[in-house]
Amino acid sequence: MTQSALTRAFLTLLALSIGTTLLTELRPQAGMGFVALVLLLAGLKARVILMDYLGLRLAPMWQRGFNAFLVVFLLTGLGLYLAG
Amino acid sequence: MNQSPAPVPAMAEQDHPLDSLPGDLMIWVLIVSELLVFGAGLLAFLGVRIADPVAFAQDQDSLNRVAGAVNTIVLISSGYLAARAVHSPNKMRLWLSGSMVLGLVFLVVKWFEYTAKAELGIGIETSQFFTFYYLLTGFHAMHVVAGLVIFALIMRWPNPRNLEGAAMFWHMVDLVWVLLFPIIYLVR
Repeated sequence: MTQSALTRAFLTLLALSIGTTLLTELRPQAGMGFVALVLLLAGLKARVILMDYLGLRLAPMWQRGFNAFLVVFLLTGLGLYLAG
Repeated sequence: MNQSPAPVPAMAEQDHPLDSLPGDLMIWVLIVSELLVFGAGLLAFLGVRIADPVAFAQDQDSLNRVAGAVNTIVLISSGYLAARAVHSPNKMRLWLSGSMVLGLVFLVVKWFEYTAKAELGIGIETSQFFTFYYLLTGFHAMHVVAGLVIFALIMRWPNPRNLEGAAMFWHMVDLVWVLLFPIIYLVR
C-alpha cells in the first residue's frame, strides 16, 4: 500500500471520528436514527481499518467475509438497542 | 524417442484462499478470535441493557464522552504511525516511537477516566453497566499494553516480518476500539 493511500485512509478515519463527535454534540437526545447513524459511522471506520490498514483490499473474498461480519454485528446491535 | 513426462504443474500458492490473506495466518486467527470475543461482549452488553435501558442511560451519562472521543483520535493516529513504520524501513524507529507515545497517551487518558470513576465511588460492582464498562474497556486496555510491549521488543530486535505482525495486532486493537467506543459511550 502506498503512503498516500495510508494517509488517505487515516484522514477518512479522522473525518468519520469527528463526524461521530459532532453527531453526539448535535443530537444529545438518543433515538433510533441517532443510534443507526452512530453504528453506521463505526462500521465505516472498521471497514477502513480492515481494507486499508489490515490490507483486505487485496483479498476480495476475505473482504466480503469481514464486511458480512460487520453488517451482521451492527444490525444485531441495532436490533438489541431497539428491543430495549 | 523417449520423452520425459511433462511435469505436473504445482498448485499455485495463490490458489489457496488462505494464501490471499495479507500477513501471517496466525495474526488473522488472533484478529478473528478477538473480534468474536469483543463482539460477543458488546452484544451481551446491549442484550442486558434491554432489561433496564433507563439505568444504563443514567450510568452512561457519568462517562466522559470527550475522553472517549479524544482516545479514538489518539488510537487511529497511533495506528497510522504504526502503518507508516511498516512502509518506511529507514524511519521505522521514528514512526514506531510516535505510535508508542500515542499508545501511552491512550492509557493515560483511560487512567484518568478510571480514577475519576473511583473518586465517585464507582467500581466494577456498582451496576451491570459498569461491570461491562470495566470488563470491556479494561480488557481492551490490556491489549494496548500488550501492543506496546510487542512494539518495544520490535524496537530492540527489528525484523520486517515481526514488525508487520505487530502493526496488524495494533490495527486490531484500533478496530476493536472503533466498535467498542460508540456502543459503550454513545448508544443510549
